[in-house]
Amino acid sequence: MTIRSAGALSVGLLGVLIQASACAPVKGPSSEAVERRAVEPEPPREETTPRVETPKAPASPAPAEPPRPKTVEPPRPKPEPPRAQESAPPPPTTPARAPVLDLTSLENRLRETSAIGVFTKLSLKNQVDDLLERFRTFHEGRGGTTLAKLREGYDLLVLKVMSLLQDKDPALARDISTSREALWNILADPAKFKNL
Amino acid sequence: MSARTKIWALVLAATPLVAGPSLAADDPAVLKDLTAVIALQGQPCGQVVTAAKQGENDYIASCQDGSRYHVFVNAQGRVVVQKQ
Repeated sequence: MTIRSAGALSVGLLGVLIQASACAPVKGPSSEAVERRAVEPEPPREETTPRVETPKAPASPAPAEPPRPKTVEPPRPKPEPPRAQESAPPPPTTPARAPVLDLTSLENRLRETSAIGVFTKLSLKNQVDDLLERFRTFHEGRGGTTLAKLREGYDLLVLKVMSLLQDKDPALARDISTSREALWNILADPAKFKNL
Repeated sequence: MSARTKIWALVLAATPLVAGPSLAADDPAVLKDLTAVIALQGQPCGQVVTAAKQGENDYIASCQDGSRYHVFVNAQGRVVVQKQ
């Protein structure tokens, strides 16, 4: 009886041990490990997917850690160049809307504008003629005027014209403003002034 | 009565002859033009409030500050602003 009972006990113990050994590793650690693994790896995937660009993600799917620094760094410098490209286009537009007037077209446009009355136009013409006479004497070496004084008179006259035009003919006022330096260069240059 | 009536008739008949050369120029464009001309000549005025036309390109302008100017174009084609 003892031998049978001992054998039965040993067999029973063995069976219990086998069941315990077989079940214990599967039930306990697996569920926790699966949950932890499922929780841990997901964040990196979520982080990489939005940051990593589509062509780079399929190329290296297995290594999740190495691409992180590579993918994080490039996108930051990349947006800067596009900003520079976006800021670059506006400059070309500014010179496009700056038509430089020559004296003839300026005279015609001043004559045709309805922003200035007849008396004012005549008065301005008188002052332009006076200034041109001063330039003539300067280029001929006569009179005591200087280029700085002529510039002062020129700027004053341009300001007068612009103040008269800016409300009713802003386009002409703007064109005169943009042509200011070009017109001055014509007046200040003796060779160009002779050809007027 | 008849004498008074005759006098009034004469006065009324003569008025257009006297007032003709100095017609008031109420056109805002003219007033603005004269204001700009006086300012361009460097004269104090502020704003021209009334102007009396004396002839072609010839005005007496009354300014906001009370000053009056004779503005006209002379034989050389120059705009002249004379203080009255």
